[in-house]
Amino acid sequence: MKITELVQQLNLSVRSTAGDLDREVTGGYASDLLSDVLANGEPGNLWVTLQIHQNIVAVASMKDLAGIILVNGREPEQDTIEKAEAENIAIMVTELSTFELVGRLYGLGITGTK
Amino acid sequence: MMGKIRADLHMHTCLSPCGDDQMRATAIVEQAARAGLDMIGICDHNSAENAGAVMSAGSRAGLAVIPGMEVTSREEVHILGLFRNTEGVIDLQTVVYENLPGENDQEAFGSQLVIDDRDCVVATSDKLLIGATNLAVEQVVGAIHQFGGLAIASHVDRERFGIIGQLGFIPEGLGLDAVEVADASLSQWDYAYPVVASSDAHYLKDVGRNSTCFSVEDASFDEIVKALNSEGGRRIITKEMEDLSLHILDVAENSIMASASKIEIRITEDKANDLLTIEISDDGKGMDEETLKKALDPFFTTRKTRRVGLGLSMLAQASREGGGQMDVSSRPNEGTAVRATFRLSHPDCKPMGDIAETVRTLVIAHPEIDFVFEHKSNGSIFRFDSREIKKR
Repeated sequence: MKITELVQQLNLSVRSTAGDLDREVTGGYASDLLSDVLANGEPGNLWVTLQIHQNIVAVASMKDLAGIILVNGREPEQDTIEKAEAENIAIMVTELSTFELVGRLYGLGITGTK
Repeated sequence: MMGKIRADLHMHTCLSPCGDDQMRATAIVEQAARAGLDMIGICDHNSAENAGAVMSAGSRAGLAVIPGMEVTSREEVHILGLFRNTEGVIDLQTVVYENLPGENDQEAFGSQLVIDDRDCVVATSDKLLIGATNLAVEQVVGAIHQFGGLAIASHVDRERFGIIGQLGFIPEGLGLDAVEVADASLSQWDYAYPVVASSDAHYLKDVGRNSTCFSVEDASFDEIVKALNSEGGRRIITKEMEDLSLHILDVAENSIMASASKIEIRITEDKANDLLTIEISDDGKGMDEETLKKALDPFFTTRKTRRVGLGLSMLAQASREGGGQMDVSSRPNEGTAVRATFRLSHPDCKPMGDIAETVRTLVIAHPEIDFVFEHKSNGSIFRFDSREIKKR
């Protein structure tokens, strides 16, 4: 499934459009420890987190993730948006909690890769 | 006068919900003294309400206590702020309290006791000190610096609440003054910042379990700032730097204290006989028999104001550990001669280190004193006499 389809189906708000929204999502990963994502994230994964610090963009870029979804309505810091635009990383925001969002993603066929 | 101090800059008190109720002012200070610490830092979670009490208890006992706080950023990164005096840390506390939501649940997280300097409980805090502030890590570092403090990332080698665990890596340009490791054996890692080790003690038994040695003039906040910036010869003493040249520096400083006008340092490396000999002699005021006996006791010092530079006893220990022995001969008004031997092949024989730097430091800092330095190594001799330089 492509990111654009997920944005539509889950009513996500896009905060950084620089990324490739037509990219095919390979799976999902949910974690708020960035070191854990560096260790276990897979290329093409959609990452679900509540961290809004600019380092999330670097982690997503390093691991070639498809995009980041911020939960609980948390808004990315301004630096984070600027970095995301520069690094071509898609950032979406949802009012849903991690648990609820991951459940819905799973229902749409986005599974964990491990 | 430069000397060595041992500091444990991060420990909690009974104010932190996770801190043991025994972690009170005089108890901490007594434990710190037992652990051989010259300086401690008091860093409770998101509060500094007990820092003043421990400082008072410390000043009664002659222990330097640095007021501080361990702030939790909104990314759940722990950052230590250490300050020259309570004013700075109280200013930080005001900002932290304004950005710290929630109320403590004593049953769930533990009690938060505010104490006086005699360990009596005077209040309890109802703030959610275990929680995170709304401040980004950059804002926390900014606030610490704004109020004149040192910002040190806590236990970067731990996954939870360490900046590398939480954020993957240290954001570029964060401007930390140092990073702290919980496991001192990791202090040699390259973090792009100075590395200190501390205990993060929550229980009395852990006070001083990890610590950092500094080469500084006295046990004060300002000297620690200089050491972290490697200013004016101050520095962090890493295990690698705990070498013989520093011991020589310490003993030579004793000679300077004894009003010597001439100090001779002789190092002889004799590989054939597996022997290293270090001799330091001066023409200072010397010691009588009783003082000489005491000088070999690690807790002796003639200095009233501070307890730094254990000099002779440290060299004696290094020599014993290195398979040799140390002798001191001294006569009042004539001078003191120290002779320490080592077995070069002994596994615990410390490395010499940068002896040239040691001699340079002494000569530059004390132009009024004549220094003779001789280094004999298997037939070759290097000799330096500061009087010959002065003639030019």
